Amino acid sequence: MSAQDTPSAPSPNSSTGDGRQTWLRFFLSNEFGLILLIAAFIVIFAVSTRGFLSPFNLFSLGRNSAVNIMIGLSMMTVIVTGGLNLAVGAMGVCAAMAFGWLIEVLGLPWPIALLGGLGMGAALGFINGWTVVRTGLHSFIITLATMSIFFGVMIFLTRAESYRAIPDVFSALGKMKIATYLSPLLLVTLACALALTWLYRFTVTGREMLAAGASPAAAELSGIRVGRIIILCHMLSGVLAGMAALMLVARNGAAIPSMAGQLGQDWLLPAFLGPVLGGTLLQGGKVSVLGTVLGAFLVTMLSSGLLMLQIGAFWVQTFLGLMLLIAVLLDKARRSYLTRRNLA
Amino acid sequence: MNTPFKTMALAGICGMAAAAAQAADDSRIAMIPGGPHPYFAAWEQAGADAVRDFGIEAADYKVPQKWELTQQNQLLESLLSQGYNGFMIFPGDPVGAVSTAEELAENGAQVIAGAGCFKDPSPAAFCLGTDTGNSAYLGTKELLAAMGDGEKRIAHFTGFLVDPNTQLRIDAVNKAAEEAGATVVQVIADIDAPEPAEEKINAYLAAHADEVDGIITTAWVPAVVAANALRKMGDTGIHMVGIDHDEVVLTAIKDGVIDGTMLQNPYGQGYIGTFALDKLRSGCTVKDDAPFASNALTDKFIDSGTSYVDASTVDSYIDAMRAESDRILKDFEATYLTCN
Repeated sequence: MSAQDTPSAPSPNSSTGDGRQTWLRFFLSNEFGLILLIAAFIVIFAVSTRGFLSPFNLFSLGRNSAVNIMIGLSMMTVIVTGGLNLAVGAMGVCAAMAFGWLIEVLGLPWPIALLGGLGMGAALGFINGWTVVRTGLHSFIITLATMSIFFGVMIFLTRAESYRAIPDVFSALGKMKIATYLSPLLLVTLACALALTWLYRFTVTGREMLAAGASPAAAELSGIRVGRIIILCHMLSGVLAGMAALMLVARNGAAIPSMAGQLGQDWLLPAFLGPVLGGTLLQGGKVSVLGTVLGAFLVTMLSSGLLMLQIGAFWVQTFLGLMLLIAVLLDKARRSYLTRRNLA
Repeated sequence: MNTPFKTMALAGICGMAAAAAQAADDSRIAMIPGGPHPYFAAWEQAGADAVRDFGIEAADYKVPQKWELTQQNQLLESLLSQGYNGFMIFPGDPVGAVSTAEELAENGAQVIAGAGCFKDPSPAAFCLGTDTGNSAYLGTKELLAAMGDGEKRIAHFTGFLVDPNTQLRIDAVNKAAEEAGATVVQVIADIDAPEPAEEKINAYLAAHADEVDGIITTAWVPAVVAANALRKMGDTGIHMVGIDHDEVVLTAIKDGVIDGTMLQNPYGQGYIGTFALDKLRSGCTVKDDAPFASNALTDKFIDSGTSYVDASTVDSYIDAMRAESDRILKDFEATYLTCN
C-alpha cells in the first residue's frame, strides 16, 4: 500500500461525506486501476488463448512475477529518494555470482552463501549510495558508471563461466509447485513486499526515507541524516536485487553471468515499469508497495498473454514501452483531477 | 529464405518423402534460437520444408525478442502451454537453460539442442551443431596458409563473452597460431552486434592496420563488418577468413577482398532436427551406443558440418553444405535411433 499519500479503503466509522470521498479516492488510485486492468486481461487472455489458465502457465506466471516484482521493489527503494538505480541488474548478477562462488569454490553451505550473496548486494549498494552522497552527483550518473564497473569486474573475475554446483535443495525451490500451480518464490516476494510495507508505514527509518525523498533540505533541517538514509536505500536496493537474482539462480539451477543480459540492462524495463505503473513518484517522497507489486504482476501477465496470443515477440517489448508511457500520462491526468477536486 | 537454400532443400530431401508415413501425427515442433540473429533465419524454411516432407503437424521458428535467457525461458514456457511438444533449442545459456529443458521434458516434450549445446547432464536427446572450436581452428589454419611465408600477426574478432563458445574459439585460434609460429596480436570480443562491431573493428583497423597481417573472425556480424572495412581500405595486404554465409562475406570472397569463410549448416540443423524430434515423438529412442562426438559441453554431440569456402568454391558452396546435410540425414535414423 502506498505511504504518505495512501489510498486506503473506507473506514466503517467514517462519516457519509468522508466515506464517499475516501471511496472516490480509492477508485481513482493506481492500485484500483491496476486491479481492474489485471481482472480484465485475465478474462481476455483466458477466452482468447489456449492454455493461459493451465496449471503450468499459472505456475510459470507466478514464478516470473516473483522475480519481476522483486526487481521492481529494488528500483522502488531508490526512487523513494528521488534517485535511480541503473545498476540494479549488474548488482543482482554480482550477488548471484558471489553466491555461486561461495558454494562452488569455497564449499560453504548454501544458507551462508545466501547471506554472502545478499551481503554482496548490500555492499555494492553501499558503494552506490556512498558515491552519490560524497560526490553530490545524481544517482543516474553514478549507477550508470557502476553498472559497467560491477559487471565488468564480475566478468573479469569469473571469465564469464557459470557456477553450477548449486545444491538440489536450493534449486528445488525454483521448480517446486504448491497445489500444482503456485510457486513458492511468489510467496517469498510477497513476504518481502509486506516487510517493505511495514517499513514505510510503521517505522521511523521508513518515514525518514520518504521524508528525505520528498524534500532533502527540509528533512536535513528536521534532524534526519539524509546522506545516511540515501546510502541505506541503495543498500536495501542491492539486497532486493540480490534476492531477485538468487530466485533466478533457484529457477535456473545455476548462477549465470548473462542472467540479466549484457551489463544487467535487461532488468531496467521491468525495474521501472513496476514502480511507475504502481504510482511511485519519480521525484521521490511517495511510495506504493502494493502498486509496484500489482504493476509488475500486470506487466508479467501481459508478456505471458501476448506470447500466448502469438503476437510477434518483438511487439511485446513495444507494447510494454507504450504501457509505461500511457501509465505516466494517466497518472498525470489522475493527479490533475484529484487536485481540481481537492482530493490530492 | 533465399533461393540457394530452397534448392538445397529440394535436392537433398526427395529421398526422405517416404518417411512422412512414419511421422507422429500430432508433433508440434518449435525451433527456438537464443535471440534474434541472422544465423538462425534458415531454420524457418527448414521447418516449413520438414512439415511438407515428413507430414508433421507444425514446425515453427519462434524467436525470443531479446538475446536473454529469461526471455527464452518465458517463450518456451508459453509454447509448452500452447501445446508444442518437440523443441529444438539453442540454449540461451548452456547451463541455465537446462532447468527449463527439464521442465519441458517432465511435461512430455522431446528436447534437442540445435546450433549450441546444453551442458551435460541435460534432458536433450543430443546436440546438433557446429564444432565451434574445430571450425575456428581450421579457419585459422586456412588463414595462415593464405598468408604465406613471413611474419604472421593475427587479429581475432569474435562473439559475446557470455557465450562459452567464444572462449573455445579464442583458445582454438590461439592454438592454431601457436602451432604455426604466428602471433595473435589482438582479440576483440563482445562484438556480435552491428553497433559494437562497427565501432571497435573500424577503430582498431584505423589505428593498427599496419600492425596486422591477417584477420580471423569467428562470429557472423564481425565477419560482415571486417569484410566491409577491408573493402573500403583497399589493398592493405591483410588476409582474412570469415565465418558463415552472409552475402557481404561471399561477395568479398568473389571480389578477392577476403580469402574465404568457414561455413556452418543452419538449414541442415533445422531440417534434420525437426526430422529427429518427430521420430523421437513417434516412439524412437536414442541408441545407447550411438556414435556421438564430444565437446566441452556434452558427450552427445553431432557435428552438423563445417567447410571452408574460398574463391574457387564460393559459387558452389551450396553443394558443399548440401553434401553435409545429405550425409547426416541419409544414415541418421540407422546411426542414432532405435525405431520399432
